[in-house]
Amino acid sequence: MADIAVGTPLAAPLPRQRTLLVGTVFGTAATLMYFAALLAVYLRERADALSGGGEWIPSGANIQLAPPTVAAWTMLMSVVTMQWAVYSIARDDRTHAIMATALTTLFGLSVVVTTSFQYTEMGLVADESIAAVLIYAISGSHLVMIAIGLVFLLLMAFRALAGQYSSRQTDGFVAASIYWYAVVFVYVVIWTAIFVLK
Amino acid sequence: MTLTETNPEAEAVAAGDDSRPEAEAVAAGDDVRPATQSSAPQWTPPTGLARFLSTGDHLTIGQLYVVFSLVLSGLALTLGMLIGIEQADINGGFGVFSNANEVFQVFGLYRTTLILCGLVPLFLGLATALIPRQLDASSVAFPRAAAAAFWTWLVGAVTHIVATFSYGGLGSIQAGAAREQSVELTVLSLALIGVGLLVGSGVVFTTLVTQRPAGMDLLQVPAFSWSMLVATGVWLFSLPVLLANLVISWVDMRGANALGFGGGGAPFEQVAWAFDAPQVFAWTIPLLGITAEVFTAAHRSSPKMFEPMAFIVGAFGFFSFGAWAQSFFDSPDPNAVDAHIVTNEVLFTAFALAIALMVVAYGGWLAFNAYSAGQRPQITPQFALVTVSGALLTAAAVAGVLRVAEPALGVLREADDDIWRGFFDAMDDLEASSLVNGMMNLAILGGLLAAVAGLFHWAPRLLGRTLNAPLGFLSVLPLAGGAILVGATDVLSGFFDQPRRPFETAGIGQIDALGFVEALNVIGLIGYIAVLGGLALVALNVARSLTLPASAEADQGEDA
Repeated sequence: MADIAVGTPLAAPLPRQRTLLVGTVFGTAATLMYFAALLAVYLRERADALSGGGEWIPSGANIQLAPPTVAAWTMLMSVVTMQWAVYSIARDDRTHAIMATALTTLFGLSVVVTTSFQYTEMGLVADESIAAVLIYAISGSHLVMIAIGLVFLLLMAFRALAGQYSSRQTDGFVAASIYWYAVVFVYVVIWTAIFVLK
Repeated sequence: MTLTETNPEAEAVAAGDDSRPEAEAVAAGDDVRPATQSSAPQWTPPTGLARFLSTGDHLTIGQLYVVFSLVLSGLALTLGMLIGIEQADINGGFGVFSNANEVFQVFGLYRTTLILCGLVPLFLGLATALIPRQLDASSVAFPRAAAAAFWTWLVGAVTHIVATFSYGGLGSIQAGAAREQSVELTVLSLALIGVGLLVGSGVVFTTLVTQRPAGMDLLQVPAFSWSMLVATGVWLFSLPVLLANLVISWVDMRGANALGFGGGGAPFEQVAWAFDAPQVFAWTIPLLGITAEVFTAAHRSSPKMFEPMAFIVGAFGFFSFGAWAQSFFDSPDPNAVDAHIVTNEVLFTAFALAIALMVVAYGGWLAFNAYSAGQRPQITPQFALVTVSGALLTAAAVAGVLRVAEPALGVLREADDDIWRGFFDAMDDLEASSLVNGMMNLAILGGLLAAVAGLFHWAPRLLGRTLNAPLGFLSVLPLAGGAILVGATDVLSGFFDQPRRPFETAGIGQIDALGFVEALNVIGLIGYIAVLGGLALVALNVARSLTLPASAEADQGEDA
């Protein structure tokens, strides 16, 4: 049996239609456009408020920089683990791929927890200021984006467990990683535009 | 070329019609035991309603899109007709609506239904059904996502209509005239429609990028496929912005008191850009592809100089992207020194001019193809329809130019006020007149006519049958004539300062020649009735063809 395997030429790589990749890029681009629109409205309203001499964040609100900064670093760490998963699956190291995906999922969940904690602390009421409406719209939308990313990651992990992905077929993991990097990128922009600039 | 998507042998086996000799079946490695001995349950495809509810077949999904979007287009035109009745007596009205807020709600529903529940899904339906066949692919890229997109859109559309009629709508212009929960549901359902259309666009886009046969690059796909690639690309960047507007409105409504985004008529104003120039042209991009295919087929030739046409369609798509032109965010005081009014921006004017230029260039490309063919076109219902739809798009582009012409003409006015006084006076304030509404009607009804032309052109592939030509010609007359009347009367009324929106009562006193404008509105009302009659004839034609056996040429299309 071993002799036959040695004498057999390597199997040709599977034809790559990249359907999932292209579909994911389309979805990711749409998501980025959605956040671009939200942030454009936020920055414009903020500029209008400040140029009129008014305040933007209501004086009673308590928006700390620490929780979102922790969340931003957590998201950045998840980029490493996500790339680790892609690297591992491309080398048929399924164990490490699953472990890295699990870590990425954990990082994502911790950002959800951090954001929820901040909601309870910051004392912003939606019907008291336009800033509150926009901050909840943007950060809430990002929570939904994270949730979609986590479902995508878990789906790919289960498919990897079933043997669907290997060094010959990595599209699922690469697609999930593209979406996840967009999740991280959007959070970094939100961190800068909302929490650093205030 | 005959393209089939099912294996006839497999169909025969599924139907229990395996008439091969037993020896042959054994040689083929089949299980030849009697069926009674088989313990595996046999899967039978669902039939009837279950077939439609569970389908992942691109052709069936496309057919569902076409049927429901035509029905919803009919509903939209009925709403337009009701507004037309009210507009026939501008000062008093005919009592169709009990207050201005109802006109506001119905006008909002007219626009969302006509475009997002009628025209766009109609194009998506044609694309979902036809593009795999144009690419020689077995199906769309994500069949289940295509089905999910269709059902999401349909549920959103039905909810949107029900919510609006339940004292909802995109906000309210009179305190207490709308129910808050219904307004929220209207906003959410519109977002659901957007999500459905976005997913459907993604399916079509991905199919075009990944499902082409080896060796076929993007500039070798048929013209309709190319136009859908451009259209879905532009919709990809437009629909998420619409969703963002709606989400902001909805979050604002969650508080006890809505602030700037969810209160009053703010939701309506926030999404108004989607029904105004230049975005309104983005919804009509596939018109160009359908026209190219029908026009060249009528001349019994194939499109020549495809690359310039592809460039024109791409540029038209680029200049029709209008999510940036949101008047909702204009400065509150338009007379302030640093006031920002988006429709006065140079970019807005440039885009309007560029769109008109692209329409002219496209007309030139069609003329070149007609000249190259060297023969008279074969007059078919679809050829007549695309001819009129092209004229409507041209008229819409001209209306778009007239709308932005005021600043430029102001310069001439300062140069010499006497010679062109009457002309300049007529051009004043077109921006705030019904000309803008007329431009939308011209463009969207042009798109609707092109989609119906596509239905005629590809009926053998869509329905397995050709549509009846004499009945088709009979439907062309009311469709084309009605669409012209609807659009042209609004444009003309604009020159007499009829307000841009039918619920804007403050500007009624400014109308010149009120009686003439009311007469124009009656003619527009006749136009709505004619288009509705035309659509009914198209539906009758489709129903009639479905009663006949599938024709021999059922699988032969335009590029067979």
